[in-house]
Amino acid sequence: MIPKQKVVAMVLAGGQGSRLGVLTKKLAKPAVPFGGKYRIIDFPLSNCVNSGIEAVGILTQYQPLVLNEYIGNGQPWDLDGMHSGANCLSPYEALGRADWYSGTANAIYQNISYIDRYNPDYVLILSGDHIYKMDYNEMLEFHKENDASCTIASIDVPKEEASRFGILNTNEDGSIYEFDEKPKHPKSTNASMGIYIFSWDKLRKYLIDDANDPDSSNDFGKNVLPAMLNAGEKMFAYQFEGYWKDVGTIDSLWEANMDLLDPNVALDLNNIYSRNPMMPPHYIADGVSIQNSLIADGCNVNGDLEFSILFAGVTIGKGATINSSIIMPGAVIEDGAKVEFAIVAENSIIGKNAVVGANPSDVENRDDWGVTVIGDNIKIGDNVVVPPKAMIDKDMEV
Amino acid sequence: MKSNDVLGLIFSNSCETTLTELTAHRTTASVPIGGKYRMIDFVLSNLANSNVNNVGIVAKSGFMSLMDHIGSGSAWDLSKKRSGVTILPPYAGVSFSNKIETLYQLRGYFEDADENYVLLTESNVISNVDFSELFYLHSVNDADITLLYKHMAVPEKSIPIVIKHNNVGKIEKVLIQPNIKGKENIYLGTLIMKKELFLNLINKAISENELNFNRLIQKWAAEYNVFAYECPSTCTVISSMNEYYKFNMRLMNGELRKELFKTDRPILTKVRDDAPCKYGLTSSVKNSLVSQGCFIEGEVENCVISKGVHIAKGAKVSNCIIMQDTEIGEDCNLNYLIIDKDVEIAPGKAMAGADSYPIHIEKKSVIN
Repeated sequence: MIPKQKVVAMVLAGGQGSRLGVLTKKLAKPAVPFGGKYRIIDFPLSNCVNSGIEAVGILTQYQPLVLNEYIGNGQPWDLDGMHSGANCLSPYEALGRADWYSGTANAIYQNISYIDRYNPDYVLILSGDHIYKMDYNEMLEFHKENDASCTIASIDVPKEEASRFGILNTNEDGSIYEFDEKPKHPKSTNASMGIYIFSWDKLRKYLIDDANDPDSSNDFGKNVLPAMLNAGEKMFAYQFEGYWKDVGTIDSLWEANMDLLDPNVALDLNNIYSRNPMMPPHYIADGVSIQNSLIADGCNVNGDLEFSILFAGVTIGKGATINSSIIMPGAVIEDGAKVEFAIVAENSIIGKNAVVGANPSDVENRDDWGVTVIGDNIKIGDNVVVPPKAMIDKDMEV
Repeated sequence: MKSNDVLGLIFSNSCETTLTELTAHRTTASVPIGGKYRMIDFVLSNLANSNVNNVGIVAKSGFMSLMDHIGSGSAWDLSKKRSGVTILPPYAGVSFSNKIETLYQLRGYFEDADENYVLLTESNVISNVDFSELFYLHSVNDADITLLYKHMAVPEKSIPIVIKHNNVGKIEKVLIQPNIKGKENIYLGTLIMKKELFLNLINKAISENELNFNRLIQKWAAEYNVFAYECPSTCTVISSMNEYYKFNMRLMNGELRKELFKTDRPILTKVRDDAPCKYGLTSSVKNSLVSQGCFIEGEVENCVISKGVHIAKGAKVSNCIIMQDTEIGEDCNLNYLIIDKDVEIAPGKAMAGADSYPIHIEKKSVIN
């Protein structure tokens, strides 16, 4: 028998993340590189282990190869215990059924037996695509104090952005009386962060009820949480203060990376664990200017950098200039190339004197501007100009 | 001969007397080098990359940092059911001060190992070499012993052993510290032989009271079928403070880095979870190697900087080797220094060594 775990965390990592376009063509969103040496999933996994949670199920479905390989035995996050640790959970065939995960709640439903093995008191549901640092213990204490069935982490968002989120309308004591999914006229600015703590006996029952409901779309936000509220379960909003960003779009992914370069943003990378590159320190050549940037091991920098992030093993050629860009592992920016406000994915090559992206101040019509994205393993030929907002998934020549 | 039929043995205290301050509180093996590595990473990675699955590390003294660095051996993939790293410290009153006596005291370790061959190596040779070629030639030549050498200048302050061999590689003469001008075939302290023969030879040496290892090699070359194999990779023997400094500075050469840090045969090391290196708005960096976890706000030129180092605004650091977690205050002016781990230099200090004589600043020094 497996020793009891008080809390089991389940990380939803199966989504395609279609709004990230070419970046998620061959990998799931949580596996997208972030912050110079991390992948997005390092944040929830590190949060778990830093909160003393030792059992973490990672629900994978869309393009799981990179993610599975990355998680491996969980050792980089100390999640390789004898009886606990990180487990990638893909949909599977069972007697009488073989279903894909049809929704977030269904993914957990199909893994009830995984959770039951640990006989937990609480289950923590996390998204694999958020950048933040959080001590889940504090949220758990709040959950226990309120004797809640479900606690939802919430963050105060600017009023004008509130209609993009699921809004939690609460009483004075923090108990939730209404969910408002992307409201036109939000009553409050408490946005759900997609982080839930459930008392396992309660969740287990509602998951089974939900699975038996043929009309349900098996989603936490749309089905399970409203069902619990309607049944009068005690549900609380836990106010989180700190940095949090959903990196589901190109813009938000780019912004969250740039936030790492902003000394006024309260997000540090201490105690965020990851698989580390096995490369020598990076080399900065003579006569190069580097301003406000992050550089990982193994890079060779012979050009100028400004407000940019270089992942492991990136090469920047002579006379190249990189501004406000994210260059992912193994990419090569050849001599004289100019990369501005762009994301260049893994192992792509930007040819000599090519121009990728543009500074918004150089674009006449702001609507024409956006972050340029070059997919992985793409070759942009010499002298090619890639306009702002473009998303490139094929080699380009002049 | 299969690689995994070879037991590796690394001496952790190679050249420790001539590395002076660097080895005051640590073994030669655990001297930080190249920004994020320790000296032993090179030979240990070479062994692991050549499928040598079991490695013993002879630890004579000051081996706490070595034990901390090696840990379970998992960083080199040497902590599996069928592989492992064993640190071999002195025991039961034995001092490990003489190499031959040490090997004799360790005979139990060799006898217990499943491997039929032993490979002895030193920890201060920096190279990226595939030992399988050495193993292959050792069997093809039907050699009793094969020695690894490099045609090179004599490493400073070392006692060179010069190998003279015929055109098929059979050693005809071994000279200890002869008069040398220019380059010679210098023995690199790495040799391979059958375990059985090795144990017999060590036993014989003890019984004949022959306790000089260099003399012993000379004797073996005369009596046995001993071959030489030239190290095909770039190769540096770190034998003095000056060689240590020069090697670190040579790493600024991209070709050398390419030859040493191969992607298919990586040099592995224990890694800390440091964030990528952060460069501030006021930084200026020229011709330098910088590791993860650093925060650079000042001016840096011709430096090798290890992880977790902070160089504050206005500081000017040139021609220095800076080891991990050192803190350099604002407006410091530093030149030609080897700054050890966890050093704190208060704002405004100026210190300098010389190109031919870099000055070492002791671990955990506070300069204010």
